[in-house]
Order: sequence, then structure tokens, then C-alpha cells
Amino acid sequence: MSTMRAGGRWIRADLRARKGQAALTVLAVAGIVAALIAAVTLLEDGTNPWRGLFAQTNGAHVWFYTKDSPTVAVGAIDGVTHVAGPYRSAPVTVAQDGKKEPTSLRAMPSAPAGVARPVVAEGRWLDPSQADGVVVERSFASALRVKVGAPFTVIALSGERHTLYVRGIADSAEQGFFPEWTPGLAWVLPGTLDRIEPMLGRSEWVTGLRLTDADAAQIVSQRVVVMLDDQLQRVYTWREVRAAMELDNRLLGTLLALFGVVGLVAAALALANAAGGRVLGQLRDLATLKSMGFTRGQVALLLLTEHGSLGLLGVLLGAVAGWAATVAVLGASLVAPMPVLTIVASTALVVLAAVGVPAWRGGRTPPIPAAPAVPPRGHLSRLARLALLVRLPPALILGTRDAFTRRVPAFLTVFGLAVPMMMITIGLGVWATLDNFLSHPEQVGQHAALHVRAGKLEPAQAERLVRRDPGVLAVYPGAEVNALAPGEARSIRVRALGGSASGAYPFPVVEGRLYGQPGEAVAGQGLFDLLGAKIGDRVRLTVGGSPLIVRIVGRTVEPDLDGEVLSVGLDSLAAKDAVPPEFYALALRPGADPAEVRARLLAASGEGLDVQRVVNPADRLTIIRVVIVALIVLLSLIGLANLLTACALGLRDHAFDLAVLKAMGLTPRQVMATLVTGSGLLVVLGVAVGTAVGVSVVTGLIDLQGHTSGVGAGIGRPPSPLTLTLAVLAAVGAALAVAIIPARRAARAQVPIATR
Amino acid sequence: MTPVLKTVHLVKIYSDGAVPVPAVRGVDLQVEPGEFVAVMGPSGSGKSTLVHMLGGLDSRTSGEIWLDGQRVDTLSESAWALLRRKKIGFVFQFFNLVGNMTVADNVELPALLAGASPKEARERRESLLGALNLTERADAAPGQLSGGEQQRVALARALANQPSVLLADEPTGNLDSRNTRDVLKLLSNVHKEGQTIVMVTHDARVAGLADRLVSLFDGEIVDDGRIARKRTRTAGAVIDLR
Repeated sequence: MSTMRAGGRWIRADLRARKGQAALTVLAVAGIVAALIAAVTLLEDGTNPWRGLFAQTNGAHVWFYTKDSPTVAVGAIDGVTHVAGPYRSAPVTVAQDGKKEPTSLRAMPSAPAGVARPVVAEGRWLDPSQADGVVVERSFASALRVKVGAPFTVIALSGERHTLYVRGIADSAEQGFFPEWTPGLAWVLPGTLDRIEPMLGRSEWVTGLRLTDADAAQIVSQRVVVMLDDQLQRVYTWREVRAAMELDNRLLGTLLALFGVVGLVAAALALANAAGGRVLGQLRDLATLKSMGFTRGQVALLLLTEHGSLGLLGVLLGAVAGWAATVAVLGASLVAPMPVLTIVASTALVVLAAVGVPAWRGGRTPPIPAAPAVPPRGHLSRLARLALLVRLPPALILGTRDAFTRRVPAFLTVFGLAVPMMMITIGLGVWATLDNFLSHPEQVGQHAALHVRAGKLEPAQAERLVRRDPGVLAVYPGAEVNALAPGEARSIRVRALGGSASGAYPFPVVEGRLYGQPGEAVAGQGLFDLLGAKIGDRVRLTVGGSPLIVRIVGRTVEPDLDGEVLSVGLDSLAAKDAVPPEFYALALRPGADPAEVRARLLAASGEGLDVQRVVNPADRLTIIRVVIVALIVLLSLIGLANLLTACALGLRDHAFDLAVLKAMGLTPRQVMATLVTGSGLLVVLGVAVGTAVGVSVVTGLIDLQGHTSGVGAGIGRPPSPLTLTLAVLAAVGAALAVAIIPARRAARAQVPIATR
Repeated sequence: MTPVLKTVHLVKIYSDGAVPVPAVRGVDLQVEPGEFVAVMGPSGSGKSTLVHMLGGLDSRTSGEIWLDGQRVDTLSESAWALLRRKKIGFVFQFFNLVGNMTVADNVELPALLAGASPKEARERRESLLGALNLTERADAAPGQLSGGEQQRVALARALANQPSVLLADEPTGNLDSRNTRDVLKLLSNVHKEGQTIVMVTHDARVAGLADRLVSLFDGEIVDDGRIARKRTRTAGAVIDLR
């Protein structure tokens, strides 16, 4: 109690004496925490839109399709709170700009439904006064490029054409986005649907169930299967919808984790530096406190309380600001509380840990207040002696001496620069890996740039057409089928491409070898993990009822489907699946533009062929580049802030020496050179160490991350020497520019030879 | 009567560097209650080390220290700190006031630390500053005070808990002659009220104020004797320093 009172006085006085610095610490921590929360929540929302849509639309957890309107009381199943529908749904084809897309036309009343209601994003909902109105699901609308007010031509199964008009574009959490999830979705009034598709036998009924507990979806869907038996067409739960909406979630998950760790390390560094610098500056006061009767533990507790509460205040402010920012962007119901709470808790822990070390050191201050705070080791360091030996100018020698006389601050400065630099190098490595994806798609399994489907033409005719094109280097006929693996509930993708022995598609095999005969296969890391298989194993799959037995002889880099893909030669598949080929993969000649070849093929076939460009995984990961840039900016700022603290501390230590140096006849310019050399050496060392460590771990880290995301090891690329050189030069240059500011001020200032 | 302070063959050897440096080599010292002892000696004779060890700021290499009849050299750093709160007041050459705290806070800090309520601490501070003629500077920062004023504040702080012994390490070493006179006058007044004082100095004129002079040379006591002085009723009230 008594120490609390005495300590309270001391903390109050200390904070009052350095309001600006304390405010800066709070703001720095608050900024990092707010940025973390905003980035994580917004990125999470961007990559996993399901949760937001589900909350907005008051969505249903289980959806099932039946032939007739379900006759049993599904609402009575345990755990079901609301039933959406049943809504009648008819398969139609939408003809838009010459393209035809299968669509599911859903009848919905004009009154908004309580559960699983589509939320209108543009325009208005269906209105009975406009019977020709249609509302289109947003991803489908953007794929069709239709706007509100545009005509929307549907072709019923009978072949009859009906022209509707788009009244609105709406979001729904009922199914995944088009074109990953087909058919597309559009809503009309029940009367309109009756007019377009009068035959009830050609439509199905869609029912959604909202549950009290989302985890019960699997059990409820099984109950539905049992109750509806042969009436049931198909059933799926929110998990499938979410999975369909997610964008490379595992890859982004690891990226988010990396971002979080970097943010935490940055916050810790900033705080440890601020608190450590303050403690070093207060050693005399701490000694005085001890001579008055503060114990070691009490001094440590005092410092922990003071600096820790500043940090925690920053965490709190940052959490509030980050929360407010995300709420402003997304709306209150859409901000996930879990990541925010995790960030707050982990930053609070990191704050206490970061402050704990300087507090502990402060507690160990010897109680003799007369103990000098000047460099305790005045002799020349080895480096300085070397500098003397090669007859460097005196300023350089003095600076070299200064750099290492106080080892702990020197280490802290080097460390404070090396960590951000290491992270920046890793960020550049991720960038280089993405660039490598783009410039060498064949190294990630995308040797072919175009996929051509026969479309309206005969397969043989299509093949002749593509082989004739001057830009095409090689044509690999292929097919993609789903296969059931033994003991697995879900199916895996089997990609058959090219021949097994001759004309094999050049998959990027990183382990083992490429298949050389029918019955051999290569697979991605995700498949090995899924089946628990290894190279050399024989796996038995079922493709559409017929067995497919292959031996896996190699591992490929596989960016698709979390790496859960088995690749074989086309002749390994049964003829019913392989003939005629489903598509042709076209490898182009170096320098040929895929867009040009595509246009040429379309023109040659009279729009008969369906030519698609292969999506490079790097294109889908553009958001990572934004994150990398933000990360590099944040890290640079933190590194420079650390350097400024270190410079200020160094100046405090050397204020007396500077006066002596000036008295000895050093010009202000030489004094400045001395100071800049001192910090510059540490800067160069820190940047070099950080870059070296970053380069040595980056490939491993990316490969590790590739492994967990199923792509598999073998994609990591270190940044190019040129990028690294530029980064190092920029870092050292910026650091020196920052170091010059206090040095100049110190060199110009009149430093009196004062008593301590 | 038990001595306030007693050391038995106290030794301090610094062994940080390559060669061990003996600073204090076997000092036997006994300080009776109410005594004013001046410890003199040239630079490097171990006087500061001795007084730091007496207050527990520095650890002894061997020997014993007794304070108020209790053996204290075996105490841990924390136990020493608790002891210092009540029994030892320190005055240093460079004042060592906490720069960020006002004069009032500096003086109240030890009282609060020793467990006084804020009200008691304030009352004690007011009476101390009043006695030292510093009442009107209570809200000033130490940096705004002259050296003499700072040392008077430091003295008030050291006396805040009525310690058994006041340890002063070159209290006038950083002051001009006028301020030296003021501070010494105060010390003498405190002494007259019965305060035990051990003061380190290298200034013979300052040492002349004490009852007893201990001379230290190379870490050993070379001379220990009462200062023969005609004691008048006004002794200490007029100090003649030239």
C-alpha cells in the first residue's frame, strides 16, 4: 500500500514530465493494433464473404432439393428454428450476348422472407405490379454483365423464349458464387414462373432450414435424408457454401498469421525500445529510489506498471479505433469478435512481455546513485583499431569506437533494424514467388495457357483447328473427372492430360518422376495428405462406377483445389471418360499472346469453340501484394522509429564527450560525421544481418507455407539479387537520412561542459 | 549504550577487472548515538565505499556491520531497502533529487514509502521545509533551485523518516562557500537535536564541524580521534569558515 502511494507519485511525475513521448508510445501501439484489427477483419471478410452474407440475409444452414413440395414436417426436426420455402425452382437457360448459361429460376413472393431472404444490393425487390421483373444474384449478374433495367432473356425447357427485365441485383448466402457454383440463380414472382414453366414435373422444390446450432447441420441433413428418402434430390449445408465462397483460405490464413506475427513483433519492438530507452535515461533516478528504500522488485513493478499501462492503453485505443473503422466499413453485425479478441489478448501479452525486460533491467540498477551513466568501456574496439591502422579520418575512428562501446544498446539497435529488415526480405520473397508464378507458369503446372472445349464443333474438327494455329506449340487432349477415394466421403479431382508415354504433359514434378506408362500418376501435396499416401503407393479410385488403379510415382506443384488433384495420362482413363477428349490444353509458342491466339481461334471457328484462359494463381492473390506493400511501409516506419530512439540515447550518452571533442578541435562537420558513422555502422550491420537471415529462411518459409496449403514445397523463390541490393541500399539510405537529423542538431548545438 | 553503527573488520575488494582492487581493508568503526563523525581522506581512500556499505548500497566482501544492535551485513538487497526506509537517510554530493518530481513530492516520497498516510507525509514535509526555509519553493522543480537549495531539499528528504543515522557523502562537495555554510549550519542544527551523522568529506574545514574525525588512507583507518574544541552554549550557531 505504502509503496503503491509512493510509486504512484513517481509514475505521475514521470508521465507529466514527458507527455509527448508517452502520447507517442500510446499512439504507436494504438496504430499497430488498429491496423492489425482492420487488416485482419477486412481481409477475412474479403476472402471469406460467407459469414457476412449469412448474417445479412439471416441465412439458412441446410438446403435441400425435392421433386415435389415436401410433405413431411421438416420444421419439427430438433434444432430447426425456421423453414425457408419450399420455393419452386425451374431450370432455364439465359441467353445473354450470345452466351448461354444454365440458370435456376426461383419463385419467391414479393413480401420479404423472414429467413434466407436475398438482400437487394442494387435496384429493388420483385413487385407484383411488374410481372416481367427478375432479380439476379450478384455474382451471376456480374458474370452476365447485366445491369438493373437490362433485358434478361430466358429459354424454358420447352424452347420458348421469354424476355424479363432486371429489377434488382441481390446478395444471397444460399449458394456459392457463379461460376464456381452453377447454375446461376435468379428470382421471379411465382406467377411469372408459372407462365415461363407451367409444367410442375420439370421443376424442383427448394427448402432451407435455419438451425439453433450451426454445428448440428450435418445431423439435421442426415435426418432430412432419412425422412424424405426418395423424394430428395440433393442436400447441402452451409459448410459447402462457405467452402465454395472461400478464396484460397488456407494460403490467406497463413498469410494473415504471418501478418499478425509481424505486427506483434513490431509492437513489441517499438515498446521495448521506448521503455528500454526511458529506463536507460532514468538510471540515476532509479538508483536514488533504491537508496531511499525501494526494493529491486518494487522498482521493476513500478516500471512495468508505468510502461505497461501506456502499452495497454494503446492496445485499448487501437482496439476501439480498429473496431470502429471496421464497423464503419462493414456494419456492426459483420465484424467477427473472435479475431479482434485474439488480437487484443495477444498484443496485451506481448506488451507486458516487451516491457518486462527493460523493467527487470531497471530493477537491477545498482543503488549507488553516483554510478556514472557514461560508457563504461572506453578502450578502442577491435574495429576501431583496424580503422586506425588503415589511417581513416579521425571522425570515422571515433564513430567506430562509439558504435560498440556500449554493447547492449548496440545490440538493441542492430536487432531493432534486423528484425524489420528480415521481415521485409521475406515479404520481397513472397513477391518474387508471385512474380515467378506469372513469368514461369509452367513451374506451377500451367504449361498450357488456353483450354479449348469443342463447343458447337465436332471434337476432331476442333482439334484440327487448334493444331493449325501458328501460335500453338503443343496440344494436349484432356479430361477432368471426379473420383471417389476409398474411405473418403468426398470425391477428388482426376486430371487426365496428354499421353502417358509419348506426348505427356510436362507437369512440374518436384519429387519422384513423371509418369511413363498408363497406370502411373502424379499428385499434389494436398492429395498425399488427404489419402495419407506416399510416392510409390498404389491407390484405387472409382470413376463413375469403373475402377481406376494407379501407382503414384511423383509429386507435382499443384496450385488448384488445395492440391487435392491426381494427374494421369489420358490413356490411363477408361475410354468412356477419355474419348472424345473433354478439352484441349494448348501450350503456346514463346512470345505468343494468349489473348491473340484465343481471338484467332474464336474467329476461325466462327465463335464455335469455347476458349478459356487459364487463371494464374498469382492473379487471384493480388491482395497479397497489397498486404506486402502495407507491411513493408509499416516495418520501415518501425525500423526508423527504433533507430531514432537509439540515436537519441546515444546522444544522451555522448553529450559530454561531444563537448570535449569540440574543445579538442573537431569541427561541427567532423562531430556530425562521428555521430553518423557510429549509428551508420550499426545500421549497416543490422540491415545486413536482417537481409541475410531473411534470404536464408524465405524459401523454406514459403515452401513450408506451400506445404500446408496443399500446393506443395518447391514454389519458394528468394528475391532477386537486384531487388535485394535496391532494398538494402534504400534501407541504409533512409536510416542514414534519419540518423543525420539528430546528429546535425547535436553538432550545431552549443554543448556546455556542465556538471552531470 | 549500544552503538548505532558498528563495523567489525569490514573489507571491500572490487574484483570486476582483471586485478582485484581492495577499497576498504579491515575497518573497525563504532558510532555512538548522537555522534557526528566525519570521515576524511584523499581521493581513492575508500571513504565513499565505506559509507555506501554502511547504508547497504554496496555489498561488503567480508566483515560485519551492526545497526542498532542488529547484524545487517548478511541482509539481502531487498531487506536492506526495507531497512533504509526507516533507519538510514542519505545525502549525496550531486543531491540526487528526482528531477521530474516537485520539491514537495521529493520530500514526501520516503515518508509515503515508510507507510505514512498522505496527510501525515504532507504535515511532515511542511514542518521539514519550514525548518529549512524552503516552504515557498515546495512546488518548484529541483532544476529551478540553486545547488544549496537542492542540497537542503535532499537533507529534508533524508530526515523525513527520522532515521537512526544520517549518511552524508560529500554533502558540500558541489557547493560554493556560501551554500556550504548554509548546509553545514543545518547539519549542525540537526546534530544538536540528537541526530547521529556520518559524513564523508575531503575538506578539513568541513570536517572541523564534527565531534570526531576518522582519517582513512588506502582503505584503512589511520587516525580516529575526538576534535578537541571548546564547546560553548552557542556552539555550531556561529561557524567560522574562511
